Amino acid sequence: MNEHAANDAIGMTATAAAPARTKIEVRGLDFFYNGSRALHGVSMGIPEKQVTAIIGPSGCGKSTLLRVFNRIYAIYPKLNATGEVMLDGENILDPAYSMNRLRSKVGMVFQKPVPFPMTIFENVAYGIRHHEKLGKADMEVRVEQALRSAALWDEVKDKLKRDALGLSGGQQQRLCIARGIALRPEVLLLDEPTSALDPIATGRIEQLVEELKHDYTIVIVTHNMQQAARVSDRTAFMYMGELIEFDATEKIFTKPAKKQTEDYITGRFG
Amino acid sequence: MQANPIDTRQPSTEHRSRADTRHDALFRRLLKGCALLVLAALLGAALSTLWGGREVLFGQGLHFLTSSAWDPVNDDYGAWAPVFGTLVTSLIALILAVPTSFGIALFLTEIAPAWLRSPVATAIELLASIPSIIYGMWGLFVFVPFMSRIEPTLSDTLGRIPLIGKLFQGPPLGLGLLTAGIVLAVMILPFICSVMREVFRTVPTRLKESSYALGSTTWEVVWDIVLPYTRSAVIGGIFLGLGRALGETMAVTFVLGNSYDITSSLLMPGTTISSAIANEFNEAVGVHRSALIALGFLLFVVTFVVLLIARLMLRQLARKEGR
Repeated sequence: MNEHAANDAIGMTATAAAPARTKIEVRGLDFFYNGSRALHGVSMGIPEKQVTAIIGPSGCGKSTLLRVFNRIYAIYPKLNATGEVMLDGENILDPAYSMNRLRSKVGMVFQKPVPFPMTIFENVAYGIRHHEKLGKADMEVRVEQALRSAALWDEVKDKLKRDALGLSGGQQQRLCIARGIALRPEVLLLDEPTSALDPIATGRIEQLVEELKHDYTIVIVTHNMQQAARVSDRTAFMYMGELIEFDATEKIFTKPAKKQTEDYITGRFG
Repeated sequence: MQANPIDTRQPSTEHRSRADTRHDALFRRLLKGCALLVLAALLGAALSTLWGGREVLFGQGLHFLTSSAWDPVNDDYGAWAPVFGTLVTSLIALILAVPTSFGIALFLTEIAPAWLRSPVATAIELLASIPSIIYGMWGLFVFVPFMSRIEPTLSDTLGRIPLIGKLFQGPPLGLGLLTAGIVLAVMILPFICSVMREVFRTVPTRLKESSYALGSTTWEVVWDIVLPYTRSAVIGGIFLGLGRALGETMAVTFVLGNSYDITSSLLMPGTTISSAIANEFNEAVGVHRSALIALGFLLFVVTFVVLLIARLMLRQLARKEGR
């Protein structure tokens, strides 16, 4: 896909320096909760193997937008998305797009760490079993790889058979990241992944995001503007269900084009 | 009137705090008393049935447990037939009621549209409040004739299967272990189902979402996440139902046929501990009476053993998960 054409189509004001390919192309996305509109014609291109942050005040629709990318909203009745979300050129909102395939390509980590009620090993192996049949030895390799990528292996290698709920909050969250990347997805969605963690655990997660972006396309929703500034390459600012501005992170935080963005990042509201 | 200067002295709290300590101690003792009352009642009931049944329990010893004779004329009593009947009818009830309750509870918490949830849930709770004598009457007048019509078909189909076929052979009496088990299943279903529904609702949404996000189907989310998360409460609910099935008297007495013969067929009449007591207590004197009270004591033992097994099972499972 032609990056410049895409940029023009979504009305970006400045061209980013990054020549990255667009991984997810959102066109005219509307979202409805029970008939009331939560997203208004959102269009944006999410670059491959970069970190894209979505910021904005509570209720601005940033989590809603993220939850469209793996269609997790579809498990609830009366939620509806219209428009197009192209993942590698295929519209994931098309009912014919296999949910199983989508979720093996797009992983998600939630706000609070949510280990499953099973052992540490099983937590990571669980998702893999839904998509692949692996022998015991292969599975062990895959679990170890995932835990290493999530920078958790050294802390848990001796207690893989223990209950995952015995880990600290930060470890649990890294376990959830390991669980997500164990499927070898292409996109990783992080929904305020550090909001329940202390500053040290937060730092480790941010460092991890930095490392993971070499292999994955990462979209992170955060209410913490400093975090967006620290970890992301591009930042989207949303307000009242609309995408106000989407640009290189540095530009958003230094010379935002829109007044609303400037008011938000300087702390005048939100 | 002149405004008083604001009083800045600390109020004396000493009196209040002494009273508080006293009240708290009293309250704690009261609560402990309530809890001990339960133990006392349980122990009292166990001991009095043990005492009432001493003549048979200690007089006949092991013979009472293993024999299936029940002969009030010659004062020869064996508890095996009622214990067998109790276990078999309860087992049938569980086999039928647990999966059904599970299905209903899941439908209500995971799948049903919001408007359907509370009417169905209320209907289930209403089922639980129907007295057992009504179930007994319904069982005898409506369900037994129905069973006697379908039992020939059962014998002709299930009865032909090797191994389990024997369970379904016999005359179409309508009365019998299978009928009693099914009536029991209907009776305990609301209990098990209500507990399951309540605990399934406690599973955090984010846990289910996390599983869906890994590509799980609804069934996988339920089986791998919801069920393990709620396991001890679910088993608790099942045993609540089982406890009721083991002790249920009236409904079973109506439809069981009350025979002390032990047969391999579920279509044949049998007896249970509580229905034997209900049927014979009126005319029992002497050793016969002692035998019935000893049966009551056995029901205690059976229930206790069943609960113990449940506990051990839970612990085993927990160990497997690394807890």
